[in-house]
Amino acid sequence: MIVPFPWKTAFRLAWRDARASPGKFFFIALAVAMGVGALAGVRGFCGAFRTMLLRDARTLMAADLAVREFHMATEEEEAILSSLNERGVDSTWVTETVSAMSSEASGRPLLVVVKAVDPGKYPFYGKIELDPPGPLSGALTEDTVTASPDLLFRLGIEIGDEVRLGDGTFRVAAVVRVEPDRMTGSFNVGPRVMLSREALDRSGLIRPGSRASQRYLFKLPPEGISIEKARKELRAVFEGAYITDYRETHPTIRRGLDRATNFLSLVSLVALIVGALGVAMAMYSHLQQKLDTIAIFKCIGARSSQVIRIFMVQTIALGLAGSLAGVLFGWLIQIGFPSFLPDYIPVPTGLEWQPVVAVQALAIGVLTTLLFTLPTLLGVREIRPAVVFRRDMEPPDARAKRGTVLRVGLLIVAVLIAVAAWLSESLEVGAWFAGALLVSLLALNLVARLLMRFLKAVPRLLPRKLSPSWRHGVANLHRPGVHANVVLVALGIGVMFTLTVYILQASVVSQLALSAPPDMPNLFMTNITHTDRDGLEEWITQYPGVEGDIDLVPSVAARLVSIDGLPLEQVYDRRRGRTYRATRNLTWRRKMPDFLEVVEGSWWEGTPEEFLVSARESTAKRLGIQVGSELEWMVGSGPVRAKVVALHRAEAIRPGSRFGFILSPNALRDVPTVFYGSARVAPEQAPELQQAAFEKFPSVTIISIADVLRIVQEIVDQIALVIRFVSAFTVLAGVVILASSVIATRLRRVRETAILKTLGATRARVTGIFSVEFLILGLSAGLMGSLLATAFTGLLLEELLDVRFEFDPWPHLAAITGTAVLANLAGWMASFQILGRKPLAVMRGE
Amino acid sequence: MSIDHPILEVRGLLKSIHSGTHQVDILRGISFAVERGQFVAIMGPSGSGKSTLLGLLAGLDTPSAGKVILDGQEIQDLAEDDMAVLRGRKIGFVFQSYQLVPTLTAEENVLLPLDLAGDGFAGAGRARRLLERVGLADRFDHYPVQLSGGEQQRVALARAFVGRPPLILADEPTGNLDSANGKHVLDILVELNRSEGTTLVLVTHNQELAARADRLVTLHDGRIASDELLG
Repeated sequence: MIVPFPWKTAFRLAWRDARASPGKFFFIALAVAMGVGALAGVRGFCGAFRTMLLRDARTLMAADLAVREFHMATEEEEAILSSLNERGVDSTWVTETVSAMSSEASGRPLLVVVKAVDPGKYPFYGKIELDPPGPLSGALTEDTVTASPDLLFRLGIEIGDEVRLGDGTFRVAAVVRVEPDRMTGSFNVGPRVMLSREALDRSGLIRPGSRASQRYLFKLPPEGISIEKARKELRAVFEGAYITDYRETHPTIRRGLDRATNFLSLVSLVALIVGALGVAMAMYSHLQQKLDTIAIFKCIGARSSQVIRIFMVQTIALGLAGSLAGVLFGWLIQIGFPSFLPDYIPVPTGLEWQPVVAVQALAIGVLTTLLFTLPTLLGVREIRPAVVFRRDMEPPDARAKRGTVLRVGLLIVAVLIAVAAWLSESLEVGAWFAGALLVSLLALNLVARLLMRFLKAVPRLLPRKLSPSWRHGVANLHRPGVHANVVLVALGIGVMFTLTVYILQASVVSQLALSAPPDMPNLFMTNITHTDRDGLEEWITQYPGVEGDIDLVPSVAARLVSIDGLPLEQVYDRRRGRTYRATRNLTWRRKMPDFLEVVEGSWWEGTPEEFLVSARESTAKRLGIQVGSELEWMVGSGPVRAKVVALHRAEAIRPGSRFGFILSPNALRDVPTVFYGSARVAPEQAPELQQAAFEKFPSVTIISIADVLRIVQEIVDQIALVIRFVSAFTVLAGVVILASSVIATRLRRVRETAILKTLGATRARVTGIFSVEFLILGLSAGLMGSLLATAFTGLLLEELLDVRFEFDPWPHLAAITGTAVLANLAGWMASFQILGRKPLAVMRGE
Repeated sequence: MSIDHPILEVRGLLKSIHSGTHQVDILRGISFAVERGQFVAIMGPSGSGKSTLLGLLAGLDTPSAGKVILDGQEIQDLAEDDMAVLRGRKIGFVFQSYQLVPTLTAEENVLLPLDLAGDGFAGAGRARRLLERVGLADRFDHYPVQLSGGEQQRVALARAFVGRPPLILADEPTGNLDSANGKHVLDILVELNRSEGTTLVLVTHNQELAARADRLVTLHDGRIASDELLG
């Protein structure tokens, strides 16, 4: 007997049922909108950003094609550059490094990113926007620099003032408002200066062997040489260099963007699931109120599937309405999102609306909503029509019910994993995410139940006189339709998430600072020349607060050309030492440093006449070098030959331990050398030492670990801000659910308020009762969130990140208080009209 | 449709429920048959098993033993959904407390059985005609809360008859009404039953009401105490 029951009829009946309680449904749709909004906003922004990366790729690179490496161009490389130039390819050279800079106003040197360009050519695409406006070539002369706005602020200077950089003094000619290729450059955090190549030479910051990034930008002629050909020719010579062209989105940025998109999508999914839980809760209490109606339906001939279909239509409509609102909301988030990003990330102009993202978010919103409401909907089957006659019906078969619960549970887990895997583009991440989320939800639910049971017992324990408001307020939590534990879970998970992000952010950075072992150096010096070397060593050793000796390591730019007379090209062909064609820095030492261990052969005594070398064991293995091998390098313009006498192994984190080859002192005596090194100074002395050193040795760059940590902190803070922004929607969704649960029970509240007033309760008393209820909800949710966040971060920090976990009560207190305040706000906003109603009108049912 | 079998027949109906440790026997062996077009009143004191019997006749509950045969078909072993469909076709219901769906208007309530059977649009005319016949021509768009008890019960009558079921089951249809309204509702019920050619089985403990039936079955303590045809 199959009776047709078209969806159209289900729609009609669903609509007739829903129109009676629009308020209840409006709010709960809003909870879904929070999650869908976050999802659509984040993914929309990332999608628009990706579109921009591709569309504006030339501008973002300031070129058609770019090559980056960390040493000066070799002869071969110079040759290909001029060969390309002859064929009509325009090129320009950009050098980027880090150095110290100071001003009259602020004696303290500041770590800045230094970028040297040829203002006549750079940039090929896009435009440097200056304040005061003008061409870059006008602003950059031999004696001037341009600065980022934060540099002016941090050095306490204005346009026109002078700054010291290396050996030179420069006038700040303008502030850079827009720098097209900043994101694709080598260093993009912290204050920056731009100068001409002549000015860079005058500063004396770059010498052979200095650590700096060299970028070559190319602009191709309209005809003659294709981008493929140019790239291929460059690739053949610039081995180990990083080459990109405008046809692809910048690989590093794209990877970063993908990861950010995946991660933030998952964060949004948490908010969405909270919203879906809200819908499930609303549908549950809706159906609880409809038990009689459903029984009537069944009495007059409705099959369970028909009833389920009617309420499923409602659920889908709710999910759809919420998701549609969410997509609109997401558009606002997409527009507002850039203000949470660091300023070196360019905001795409004309953030395009992403229809694909909107459809995705809509689909996920509806699917998630339906998924979490499924157990409630299927519960319709358990409702027996005979309740219309008798209330003392035998309960439905518990075993059948358990089977359904299990199947639906498995379905939820499976779909959740699928959605998370799709959003994160990884099945593994999706499974972990779904697992962690379900465990959190179950744990929160357990705590919520225990808490509710405890609270149920409390009023009986309170002395009768104590406070009727408290007794009533607590009792209100157990009112049918309040679903206090769902509200607690929804609110609690948001608190947990946001707090976890905050604690991780705070502990990771502070622990990083603390975990540097006390005997490790905390001051790093680079760019020390022969001239400065001896003076610096003596000066710094005697400086108060400096502990132990300083270790200066020489560095010489060199290129390995042959092993035992065999040209390296052939070595490369036989074995896999491909990166060794690139220029590598060499060092020399007299004595063997104590962090080295010789594994074969033996270190030289004193200063031998012959040129000897010790090779790092791993490097030797890759290149087939043994004790006794003859090696030849090109250093500057001449060859240097040395005989391998030892193979060594090194502790990885010591300065100077990364060299593949250590030569005997005489071998590199007459070639241009840059030294760098490290020292340990009492942390409170570091700023003073930096300043004094800058006065005395201006071209030496001294970086204290505190400077580095400050930059790390800045980055971590930025990331955490973005995550917190997105996770805040989870809290919002929880708050909305609280409000909607209050609204759902409004009728009962109105009636009770009327009765209380009739019996002589003042308005203040009723207010007190409600406030206690909301306060307890907020405090409990805050407490639960805080407990779980503690457990979560403890686990993450101790087990995964190997960082000591220290409990700081303040963020927790703030979170708990904040949640209580939010809960009260939401609760009162939802029940505001209740208080004013006149008792008689209510009792008469008007 | 063959007419050689009774519209409703029960044989050896038993119903007991287990509450905690002991068993309560509500119906202890009931057998009778109802002919088409008959108006049967079932009477008995509270707790005699009237409502339970009506629930079993409608397939809202399953008997502990015995058979319920509705229009030639045994229904006691039907799956719940099949029973629901069968109910929709064969049985119209009138309850003591009206049981209108509060979120639907009078007209929509009457249309509900047709909607569930898949022909809601086709039946719109009939629903209105029935509402007119029960005297609610001007109340189509009113919600149950806007109607008096008597009016609500008249909507319920229209709903019971709208799908042209062969059998109407009524459970104390005037129990919640004052005597004037009760009489009015009963008049309409009897009149509709006659003009639509349906069979009416009515549970009541109201003597006056039972007196209008063709046949009176009296229950006592889960058994049929008397079964008489009335003049």
